[in-house]
Amino acid sequence: MTTAARPGWNRGVPPSKNMQESPTPLSVLGPQAEAERQKIRQSFESGTSARATLHALCELADHHVGQIFDEVLRVQNRAPDGLCLIALGGYGRRMLFPYSDLDILFLFGTDKTEQEFRPLISEFSRTLWDLGFRVSSAGRTLEECKRIEEDNAEFHLALLDRRLLAGDPTLFEKLDEKVLPGSEKQARPFLLAQLHKLTRDRLTRYGNTIFHLEPNVKESPGGMRDYQATIWLRQLAEEKKGIRNITAAEEEMCSSAVDFLSATRCFLHYNNGRNDNTLTYELQEAAAERALGIGDGVARTPSDWMRQYFRHARTLNRQLLRYLEQKAPVPLTLRQRLMNAARASKIEAGDGKYFQVRDGLLEVVDLSALSDRAITYSLFAESARTGTPLSREAERSIGYVLIHPELPPKNTEMPWEKLREILGSDYPSLALRPMQRLGLLMEILPEFGLIDSLVVRDFYHRYTVDEHTLRTIEHLQDLADSPDERGAHFAQLWKTAERRELLVLALLLHDVGKGMPVENHVTGSVAALDSAAKRLKLSPEEKSEIQSLIEHHLDMSATVQRRDIFDPATVAGFAESVTNQERLQRLCLLTYADIHAVNPEALTPWKAEMLWQLFVATSNYFSRTLDRDRLHAHDEVSLLGRIKAFAGAGSTEEIERFLEGFPRRYLAVHSPEEIAAHFGLYRKLSEEPVQAQVAATRHGFALTLLTPDRPALFSTISGVLAGWGMNINKADAFANAAGIILDTFYFTDLHRTLELNPSEITRFGKTLEDVVNGKTTLETLLKGRVSASRGRSPKVTVETRINFDDSSSAHCTLLEIVTQDRPGLLHEMGSALARLGCNIEVALIDTEGHKAIDVFYLTAQSKKLTAQKQELLREVLQGTLS
Amino acid sequence: MMKLEAVIQPSRFESVKDALREIGVEGMTVTEVRGHGRQKGHTEVYRGREYTVDLLPKIKLEMVLPDNLVNSVVDTILKSAKTGKIGDGKIFLSRVEEAIRIRNEERGENAL
Repeated sequence: MTTAARPGWNRGVPPSKNMQESPTPLSVLGPQAEAERQKIRQSFESGTSARATLHALCELADHHVGQIFDEVLRVQNRAPDGLCLIALGGYGRRMLFPYSDLDILFLFGTDKTEQEFRPLISEFSRTLWDLGFRVSSAGRTLEECKRIEEDNAEFHLALLDRRLLAGDPTLFEKLDEKVLPGSEKQARPFLLAQLHKLTRDRLTRYGNTIFHLEPNVKESPGGMRDYQATIWLRQLAEEKKGIRNITAAEEEMCSSAVDFLSATRCFLHYNNGRNDNTLTYELQEAAAERALGIGDGVARTPSDWMRQYFRHARTLNRQLLRYLEQKAPVPLTLRQRLMNAARASKIEAGDGKYFQVRDGLLEVVDLSALSDRAITYSLFAESARTGTPLSREAERSIGYVLIHPELPPKNTEMPWEKLREILGSDYPSLALRPMQRLGLLMEILPEFGLIDSLVVRDFYHRYTVDEHTLRTIEHLQDLADSPDERGAHFAQLWKTAERRELLVLALLLHDVGKGMPVENHVTGSVAALDSAAKRLKLSPEEKSEIQSLIEHHLDMSATVQRRDIFDPATVAGFAESVTNQERLQRLCLLTYADIHAVNPEALTPWKAEMLWQLFVATSNYFSRTLDRDRLHAHDEVSLLGRIKAFAGAGSTEEIERFLEGFPRRYLAVHSPEEIAAHFGLYRKLSEEPVQAQVAATRHGFALTLLTPDRPALFSTISGVLAGWGMNINKADAFANAAGIILDTFYFTDLHRTLELNPSEITRFGKTLEDVVNGKTTLETLLKGRVSASRGRSPKVTVETRINFDDSSSAHCTLLEIVTQDRPGLLHEMGSALARLGCNIEVALIDTEGHKAIDVFYLTAQSKKLTAQKQELLREVLQGTLS
Repeated sequence: MMKLEAVIQPSRFESVKDALREIGVEGMTVTEVRGHGRQKGHTEVYRGREYTVDLLPKIKLEMVLPDNLVNSVVDTILKSAKTGKIGDGKIFLSRVEEAIRIRNEERGENAL
């Protein structure tokens, strides 16, 4: 804390006499002071506590300050009337570290005494400096102390720790009892606001985390400055008046954290020979070797000792954050209040009796309910779902319940369904952070404990492994809200990512191998996944997807940095290892987050651009090579077994016949359970040639349809959906070697017809079968529906792009269309294709906001489309889509 | 003393770095840069949006070398950075008047 002097301070006339003329010259005092310092240092190094060491250093400084002051007065033949010396800040609190400055205020009764004492003060400061004390001085008259210096809040804060050192006691009494109580009361809102700002700025400068690999034990979050700021917050909040806002247990934890960090800071000062508070790797080793701050003399590994450091730093940081949150000096804006009101009403509808939103934070209403973990978990799920952080008080309450045996916990197991809800939400990190701080994350995912506060020495990484891991998830979460230049491309990937819980769980586990004695941490992380998957009862598909992400988590970064990403062979090779579009999307997000969380500068715009280019090239590769990679069912022994187990009926040969010739992507987008259900429909084709199934999904409905190929099938189905007012968001169409078509449409029910009238699902299925079988015409169904929707003008205009590609597929012409989405669009495009005799071999339909993005693999009479046909089709489509 | 600046393909960076280390080059400054010479840009269309890279990503190496090392460093970079395709990059050499180590004020080649 700097308490800079007023301009002009210490620029007085040189003194006429000096200390060399005193009876105890510097040549004697200097060595005496140094010998005392050495004695204190030796005592610290042989085991004296930091508290006693700081006290001794303070006594030494006090002694010399008093002695020099007396000597200077004596030499000048002056009495100290109208002048006193006041210790400020850490020195005022008697927490003086070996190489810290002595913050001293020279207080003058009047302007006149200031003028008279100026030469004396200069001499005093110089002499102390010569004795090895670094004095950081400020001078004020009593009158000046009444005024608040708005550009020097640090001075007023340091003044909160005032202590008389020497000089006129009545002057100090006036300041302490008359002047400051009034001005401090008046300045309290200003000081609180400034303290908040200074603290927030400092925490931000250090990335808002305690988990630095080489932390600064004074300035980093969790360092001594956190403790000091907490003390000031408490003082300004008038806790002295008897309102204790801290439990005895918390006070004790804080006290032992302060002892530990004080010992560490003393140790750093002595080892560095200056006021350098960086806990470097080398000094971590030395501190661990002597069990610094632990007191049992048993040497620790640097990692174990650093865990102790982080445990204490967490205590101090948590206290500070709690006080910062409680005493927010800035009133909420109207927008914040409205947001709170909106959020509060949402929660009222859910678990309103257990928690509520206040000032934008989730608060616990019924503390006794917290012993039921199911309720605690739903609090976290609510936070992750709505983006409302838990208040520090709520976190404190949970922490209290967790450690008190009189509140035995029930329902402690967190099922995968609940964890999935948190991990797959929009704000997973809002739940995971407090869960980690409270130890719940490690309880649910003990594998994460392997990297708890783990320092792995690395030139690039700035944070401990657990902090790096949680930051990866935060960086993804942040993509939802106006990301910076680096994240702009990836935001859409995050928003459209399906099964996010798999990606987030992969991130939680991707580096846990670093906490294991294995050569390659990826092997360890995969082993950790094995145990986590068993405990959480993940399905084999879920586990396999997470495993793949962990195993390949460095691949995309390596490809970007070590391969020519503009070389088609690089892209093809990379695509082969990733295998499908969905995994590519997850891997790309994982890589983005993983690089970003290494340190704030690691993800340069350059790297982000390279990563995006590789993603785009690989994504295009997948959509253009769909028909190249076909399934040979006979080779898929394990898959056949799993499908057979799910299906419960049908022979392996029958399953083989069904699967043979589907594009391999079919396996990527459907789980074995779904494939088994498709196989069930396939078996019924002999009874009824059109098999349709409608099921509700998380975002709407899914229609699966199986039938032998027939002309205009795709446009017919999309027409029926349009006729019922359904909006198709996504679709795929595949054909097997025997010409059986399997179409899946994911749609939203714009008019909530199916949602409000479940019986309509049956009628919808019947209509579909009738239209496909030619028993009903589509025109009747569509009449009025499409024309009505055409009248509405879109909010965003998307330019239509039609592109033909003859080179990517050996047998088909690829048609890529990007256009404005609207109800009935797919039906119109499908009809145009059918009218011109184009057969859809494979189709991938997707939407992104108002944009429809469709890829069709087309043939005409079993061949690629001729150039004339392509031109004709372009013309027709342009007419249809304009 | 000569200052060497080399603009190379990012994919060759690891090989160049390893090869330079083998011949005893310890220090260099590495910058991620974008640029182009004769190599054309690259365009990909993704979901209807065109992503054109006019300025291609490259790595720029900078080092100041004693005269007796210059030729071997140039040869090493040529061998390890070359793929034979347009876009492999360039090497620039320029004379350096003086080098000073800030810590101890050593001058000339001793400061390298």
